[in-house]
Parts: sequence; C-alpha cells; structure tokens
Amino acid sequence: MKRRNFIQKSTAATAFLTLGGFSLQSFTNKTTKHITILHTNDVHSHIDPFPKNHFKYPNKGGIARRATLVESIRKENPNTLLLDAGDIFQGTPYFNIYGGELEFKLMSMLKYDAATIGNHDFDNGIDGLYTQLPNAKFDFLSANYNFENTILDTHIKPYKIFNKDGIKIGVFGLGIELQGLVDSANYKETRYLNPIEIAQDISRILKEDELCDLIICLSHLGYHYKFDKIDDLELASKTKNIDLIIGGHTHTFLPKPTVTKNSIGENMLVNQVGCYGINLGRIDFYFDSDKKKASKGKSIIV
Amino acid sequence: MKKIIISIFTIVLFFSCKNEPQHLLKIEGKLLPITSEITSNKNIETFVKPYRERIEKEMSNILSYTPINLTREDGELESTLGNLMADMCYQEANPIFNKKTGKNIDFALFNFGGVRASIPKGNITMQHAFNLMPFENQLVVVELSSEKIKELITYLIHKKKAHPISKQVSLVYTNNGYNFKINGKPLNDSKTYFVLTSDYLQHGGDHMDFFKNPINLYKTDYKLRNAIIDYFKETDTIKVKLDGRIRTK
Repeated sequence: MKRRNFIQKSTAATAFLTLGGFSLQSFTNKTTKHITILHTNDVHSHIDPFPKNHFKYPNKGGIARRATLVESIRKENPNTLLLDAGDIFQGTPYFNIYGGELEFKLMSMLKYDAATIGNHDFDNGIDGLYTQLPNAKFDFLSANYNFENTILDTHIKPYKIFNKDGIKIGVFGLGIELQGLVDSANYKETRYLNPIEIAQDISRILKEDELCDLIICLSHLGYHYKFDKIDDLELASKTKNIDLIIGGHTHTFLPKPTVTKNSIGENMLVNQVGCYGINLGRIDFYFDSDKKKASKGKSIIV
Repeated sequence: MKKIIISIFTIVLFFSCKNEPQHLLKIEGKLLPITSEITSNKNIETFVKPYRERIEKEMSNILSYTPINLTREDGELESTLGNLMADMCYQEANPIFNKKTGKNIDFALFNFGGVRASIPKGNITMQHAFNLMPFENQLVVVELSSEKIKELITYLIHKKKAHPISKQVSLVYTNNGYNFKINGKPLNDSKTYFVLTSDYLQHGGDHMDFFKNPINLYKTDYKLRNAIIDYFKETDTIKVKLDGRIRTK
C-alpha cells in the first residue's frame, strides 16, 4: 500500500512540474467522486403496485414506478449500482404461475447489478432457481453458501468488483441458515457456512488483496433478533472494512439507515427498506483524493 | 509536435488522477418511497401486461363464499382461518390416504406462520386461495408414537400460538397439566397416530421436530393449495367458527 502511494505521489509531482502553470488546487478538485448505491430487499414477486384499497400499503410499490425512479437517478449520476438483498421470489401468483421468470426479466430490464439469495429463492427448489438463472442478466452473489455438490456450482460467485469512475466497489453476499427454514429437499446439498467468519475473510480479501475503495455486503441474515441468531447488527460489530450492509429477510422498515460501529470502532451503515418493493434505498458515497480533507474523518448524513 | 506532447501529458495526468488513493469523505443515506406520484415506465408496463392479463383471468374465478371475515388472529389459541385450513386439508386428504392405506388420518396440524393472508367476507376467489397458501408445499401423513404426540402437545402449550389444528382434537390445559383427546378418546400409549401436515413442517420447519423421524411417512403428492382450492370449489358457503378445540382453563 505504501509503495502504491509513493508511486502515485511521484507521478503527480512529475506531471505538475512539467506542465508548470497547472495549479495543484484545480487538480484535486477534479478528483471528487460520487457513487450512488440503490437497493431493494424482499420484493417477493410484487410486480404490480398494491391495490388502492389495500389496508396496509394502498397504491404503494410497483416495479414500473421503481424503473422510472432508478432511471432518473442513473441520469443524475451514471456511477450508480442497483442491488437486491434476496427473497425475490414468492408472494404473488406471478411466481406461482411463471416460476420467477418475470421477476428476473424485469430486474434485468431495470439493470440490476447484483443480488444475493434469500431463503424463498429456493421455493421451487434449487433446480427451480437454476432454471430461471438465464433470465437474470445480473450476478447472484453468495459467499457463505457452498454449492459445490449442487447444480448451482460455479453459477454463484462469492463477490464481484465493480469499477465506477475509478472507484473499486467490492460487493459480496451472505445467506441465512437454511435448516428449519427451507425444506431440505429444496436446498439439497447446499452447505451453510458461518456468515461472520466468511465476512471477515471476504472483507479482508476485498480490502487488502483487491484494494477496493468501497465494500458492500448484501445480507439476507435479518436486521436484528432478540434471541441468539446471527443478524446484521452482530455482523457489523464483528467485522471491519465493510462500509455498508444492505439487509433483508426480517422485512424491517428502517426510516433511515442505521449508523453503527464495526469491530474497530469505525462508523458504518446497515440499511433495510422493508419489503414488497414499497421503498428504494439510496446511499451516496463521496470520495476525495485530497488527504487533508480525508484526515478530518468521514461525515455521515442520514 | 506540441499537440502530441500536451496530449501525452494529459494522458499521464488522467491516469495519475485515476490512481490517486480515494478517501471516503461523506455518506448520505435516505429512503425513497415508491408512490403513485412516480410515473410508471412504459416499457415495463407493456412487458408485464400479457403476464398480468393471464393471471387476472385465472385469479378472478369465484370458488366459494364466506359470510364472515376469516383471519388467523380472531382467537388466542385457535382462529377461524386456522380451523378452516386444518379441517379442509383433512377433509380433502383423508379419502386419498384411506384409499392408499385403508387407514384414517387422526388429525391435521400446520403452523400459524403458514397462514399467509386473511379472507374478507364475501366471494372467495382463486386469488384468495393463492394469498392464503402461496407456497408449493405438499401434504404428507406421518405415523407417530404416542410419545411424539406428547411432544407435539408440549410444543403447542409452550408456543401459545393459534397453530391450525383440525376438529378431531381437543386440548384443554392449565398451569398444572392438560387434557388431550382425539375423537373424544384420550391418548392411547399402545397406539400409533396418523397426522396430516406439510412436507415443510415434516422436514423440521418451525421447529416441529416431532414430525422429523416418524414411524412411517406417506407422501400424498397433493399440494396444500390444491386441497384448499378443491374444498372451496366443492363448498358453496364456508361454515367455520371458534369451537375451543384448544383452550386454557
């Protein structure tokens, strides 16, 4: 890391010297970068808005509206990623009749960049998920499900790195324990690995080996449990290097992202936007190459 | 020549900017509600339309009628919708089981969490059946020892939830003990019992572990939702009430 800094400094110095008149100030100003992360979770096959007379969510949601919103944000900032934290399947007859085909095709039309796998995404069995994969023009990420002995082997990646405006964004996925939650005949020989240990490993790889500037975890573990079960808040407190955990499973409607501390006392975010496509989460990250500005620490506005 | 030199330097400058280590300065987070104020994207609308039309046609079929609202929350240890769900699955599955084995199912048990949506007073459509049971679960029959039935009773008493159970069962409990009857008869230790449930619960869903290793397991190849739909189709008007099949004293 030190060597890399040094090289960059000397290159910058050379450029500065040769061009003479160019002011350093104008150079640094240009390096402010902006990444927008948009996210959903637990959409559960909700393609149409809820009916106008629905008792809980009247006239809310709808993927065609979400498409408009996403499109306008992408126009405003092309350096945008659209992510989903799982449970895409199950909840309306669209799934029962078309088996998830429409969900994946529509998410591809919205240009989703990645998703993780929720427990309900196994509802038509691991084979049902496999059958629909060609309809998804985005990647499924899961670092703690071992699919080696299943049909999904090699089709699911633990993580993916996106490069937007020179910013390296590492995104990885985590899934919930399947035993007792999903019929074993549906997940077959999928092995569940401890998400905290896996997250510690993967976030280190993304930070130290892949040199990511931003690390995002797509989690279907659940926001918080009052009983002993791994949740996003625990995951946050026992890992470092993760900037944002995008959660799901517990259908938690957070009015704003939760600011919490990681294992080394740094602030980070955990967010979850309820369910059924009623909301879209938006997190904006602003970067600067000016060390002086950065030394004052990052500000989080929620 | 001058032009070339400048552009080379521009490239150097460009790359050095790119490789500059980036420091996270500011994060902003907010929730964006999806409301009717956002115009629908036309391409998406057009794409969904044929899928929606086929579903709407199928889902609007009227199957039955209920004179009361059916929910899983209108009682404490039982509910109208829970009672109905267990009773209708029993009624539809027992003839199939009887034909295969010559035996009768003793009772049916499902889980509270599996009752997915209420049915309001009025016509019951295919849509209601799908909302009630969106999952693809199959009905199974487990043969259990009386010991496992006792575990089942302990589970019900411990969870204090309106788990759907069929009308053959009567369970009354106090702080000191319980009185359990199947078809009016107390539990017989020398007998085994046939319980109807879903493959999901049989595999340990909702921690109904007493279903896990039965003496015998019979698969019906009959989906829960199909049993519900078949019952609705056969029944003009739904009659169900809270009858105290599970209660405390």
